[in-house]
Amino acid sequence: MSWLRKLGDTSLTTYTVLFFAFIYLPIAIIVIYSFNSDPVNMMRWSGFTFDWYKQIFGFSNASSEAALYIESTEQLLAAIRNSLTVAAFTTTIATVIGTATALAIYRYNFFGKRFYRTLMFAPMLMPDIVLGIALLIFFVGVGMPLGIGSIIIGHCTFLISYVFIVVSARLAGMDRTLENASADLGANEWTTFRRVVLPQVMPGVIGGALLAFIISMDDLVITYFISGVGTQTLPLFIFGMLRRGIKPEVNAIAVMMLLFSFTVAALGLYFRSRRR
Amino acid sequence: MSALTLRARQRLQLAGLLGPVTVFLGIFFLTPLVIMLIYSFLAPGLYGGVVWEFYPHNFGRILGFADPAFEYFDPVYFQIFLNSLRIALTTVVITLLVCYPAAFQIARLPERWKTFCLFLITLPFFASLIVRLFIWVLILKQTGFINQTLMSLGLISEPLDLIYTEGAILLGLVYIFIPFMFLPVYASVEKIDWTLVRASQDLGANGIQTFWRVILPLTLPGILGGSILVFIPSLGNFVVPAVLGGAKVLMLGNLIEQQFLAARNWPFGAALAMLVMAAVLVLLFLYVRFESKSGDDAPLLN
Repeated sequence: MSWLRKLGDTSLTTYTVLFFAFIYLPIAIIVIYSFNSDPVNMMRWSGFTFDWYKQIFGFSNASSEAALYIESTEQLLAAIRNSLTVAAFTTTIATVIGTATALAIYRYNFFGKRFYRTLMFAPMLMPDIVLGIALLIFFVGVGMPLGIGSIIIGHCTFLISYVFIVVSARLAGMDRTLENASADLGANEWTTFRRVVLPQVMPGVIGGALLAFIISMDDLVITYFISGVGTQTLPLFIFGMLRRGIKPEVNAIAVMMLLFSFTVAALGLYFRSRRR
Repeated sequence: MSALTLRARQRLQLAGLLGPVTVFLGIFFLTPLVIMLIYSFLAPGLYGGVVWEFYPHNFGRILGFADPAFEYFDPVYFQIFLNSLRIALTTVVITLLVCYPAAFQIARLPERWKTFCLFLITLPFFASLIVRLFIWVLILKQTGFINQTLMSLGLISEPLDLIYTEGAILLGLVYIFIPFMFLPVYASVEKIDWTLVRASQDLGANGIQTFWRVILPLTLPGILGGSILVFIPSLGNFVVPAVLGGAKVLMLGNLIEQQFLAARNWPFGAALAMLVMAAVLVLLFLYVRFESKSGDDAPLLN
């Protein structure tokens, strides 16, 4: 029997290694091939180059001039700028509103609490496409121009929920006796909030904000419907390129985006594990 | 100041904290959904507008009673609906089969490794969705990684049709939604009380019986939670079929997108979206029923 168990163990371990390979091998492949110099077929290795990275930063050189595929670096930069603007505003608004809601539900008992809880989960469980077209119909109906503003509003509708959930989780793990102690020691309500509650909630707020920022930078579906004709974000830019045909520069852009989101996510997870 | 009683002050604070979310979600979340619901019962206008009259045939076009003034009933839309349901369900089953054994293996690793593995599984969730799909385009396309590799090895002489198939869509969906399935499943695998498993073995149950009667029921909350988290975004997905399915395989999401951006039949598009939402609501309702019945806190809402 023991050899059978051993066989089971080994195959389970092998399976798990394959499981991780399935997740990460494709990412490894794209990182490697983003340095491939073949301008026509990105997946046929014909030498190492930094050209595609140079190109997206605006330094084109003779060898890549012939294969100048990218529509314009300007378009890409505009898309990045739009994405950052949207993410910055969205993160701020969603973090403030989401944290306020979490505090309200944590601290007070009131009529309609259950309704608010459900309301906070609804945007997360709503399929993207439903929310996207509902917002499109709404914006067009009330005559609001589509663009950066509408994208920010659209992102906030579901990112408030994400911040709410992260902050609520933090609040649920909080030690309530500390608040009582602070009150017993003569601190008034505001001081207690500022000196006791806020420092404890802060990691949750930061975590929620980071999550909101990453998801806002990445959102494609809702943005796709409510961005209007003139405004592009980074995911929309790549989606457009995928539909028209892929250029080698996209490889490099993709790798940079992966690097960016992995760094932010790793930082977030690191801070979360540190502050516990 | 003292004119405000404690109760009144608390009310004011509560209003201050809840006011923003009430206004924001009221205007930009609930109102749009109500408007969409109304739209789905309006007649389409000539150039993308709507005509304000009651018009049940948007749903009729899907479910079997098309407006006789314009067209005969065409089952194609219902077919697409069924097709999307099937693809979403298949995605759920595959992600479950992929994640389940891995969850058991990772659950019995030493603490440090466990944390690291969980980190590795969560990480892709934060990476751009479109980039992760783009990777598969490069791997699957005619001149992509797999075809190049197989051809240079001499295993095939002509490139295989890998991309723009239903298989490619499934692969894309599974790849994206693995974390959604893994984390709830893992949460319940980790909570398994192994003494129950040993008891079952001591009482003479064989491996299969122990699995069906003990392990599976214990992990059921995680399985159901993960299934819902994967099913909902799969059903109305339009990015994956658009990128990996080409124009060949149509899912509900693509159909909705077409109605809004190409065909300009907004009421019909709204009706299709209502259908997606109805399917999701039915599922959530069943899940909540299960959750309250089983008494155990299901991992989805925690």
